[in-house]
Amino acid sequence: MSEAAATIPDTPLFDRAGSIRGYRINKMAMALGQPANRAAFKADEEAYLDSFGLSAHEKSAVMARDWHEMVRLGGNLFFILKISAVDPTPITRIGAAQASMEHEDFLHLRLGKKRNG
Amino acid sequence: MAKIIGGLGTSHVPSIGAALDKGLRDTPDWKPFFDGYEVGKQWMRDAKPDIAVVVFNDHGNTFFLDRVPTFAVGVAETYNPVDEGWGPRAIPAFEGAVDFSWHFVDKLVERHFDPMVCREIEVDHGLQVPMELFFGRPEAWPVKVLPIWVNTIQYPIPTPQRCWEMGKVLREAIESWPGDERVVILGTGGLSHQLQGARAGFINQAADRAWLDGIASNPEPYRAMTREDYVEQFGSEGAELIMWLVMRAAMNSDVNLIHKHYHAPASMTGAGMVVLENAA
Repeated sequence: MSEAAATIPDTPLFDRAGSIRGYRINKMAMALGQPANRAAFKADEEAYLDSFGLSAHEKSAVMARDWHEMVRLGGNLFFILKISAVDPTPITRIGAAQASMEHEDFLHLRLGKKRNG
Repeated sequence: MAKIIGGLGTSHVPSIGAALDKGLRDTPDWKPFFDGYEVGKQWMRDAKPDIAVVVFNDHGNTFFLDRVPTFAVGVAETYNPVDEGWGPRAIPAFEGAVDFSWHFVDKLVERHFDPMVCREIEVDHGLQVPMELFFGRPEAWPVKVLPIWVNTIQYPIPTPQRCWEMGKVLREAIESWPGDERVVILGTGGLSHQLQGARAGFINQAADRAWLDGIASNPEPYRAMTREDYVEQFGSEGAELIMWLVMRAAMNSDVNLIHKHYHAPASMTGAGMVVLENAA
């Protein structure tokens, strides 16, 4: 399944490799479902990330809000979306970042919205 | 025996619930979407179900990757809305159809399914949003629920054929239940969307519109499609549509398409619904 599906262009599936690779990032993000963890993240983000054993590379991707890189490192959007609940970011901006497009272009070209102005 | 009074298919995009929370129902972005559901809400008011079976997937809110059930069935007394990171939502808890849910578990295992059985568990937008779309925001939900979770997050996800087979067992469970409850089945998820990778934002309106008609009149091709076909046509997260097959397989071969609605985009998703009734 995963090998066949890997042939669909620009479409990473969250398979065994991704699940293993992204486990720590996803576990850190999952924990943001708890209010106390959200407070800890806001108070000292790096210390919070360290407490989940993230690598330097993983930490920098999270702290830079580099959504494209977080997904490449195995972050699954449903988990890492919780970061956007703590530090508000519209999902369409996360989508645009992965598509490497400007937000307005993404809304128009991918989602079919009319351009503003 | 209990009676299947309808099969509904619907999107469950979390932004729908957020739009209701923020009072955005009548804004230009959302009004056409919500207006199209009014006929579905009216159908539900007239149909007066006792039990809603809701087939949905968790989105990394209740289940983490430490344990991933391919299928899970709730047998709880109460299902509270889970905190998805934004804090608790002001919607009522869902009362479980406990005895009927255990009966469904019995039937599943008799028919060689192996579900995880959940006695204490919260529910995310996958169940919340379909309930809000068809029942509005009551002080208490007018039905009891039977939640069925399908893993659509971590591969391998179940095959479309397996979802279809579960629907057959669901029908058998409803028809062999000694009560006289009126049961509505909600298959949820989709339609086309992709949240991850460079193809993020993929929406396939033509495939979505074909789905809304085809799921009623000719579901066989969708049952025969591979998971790869779903991902290609509907996007990586659009593969959630396999969960509508559980609903569809529980219905008669011949159904009447009573209502349908489509709107794109709702957030990043092609969104819509169908209301099906068994043909006489």
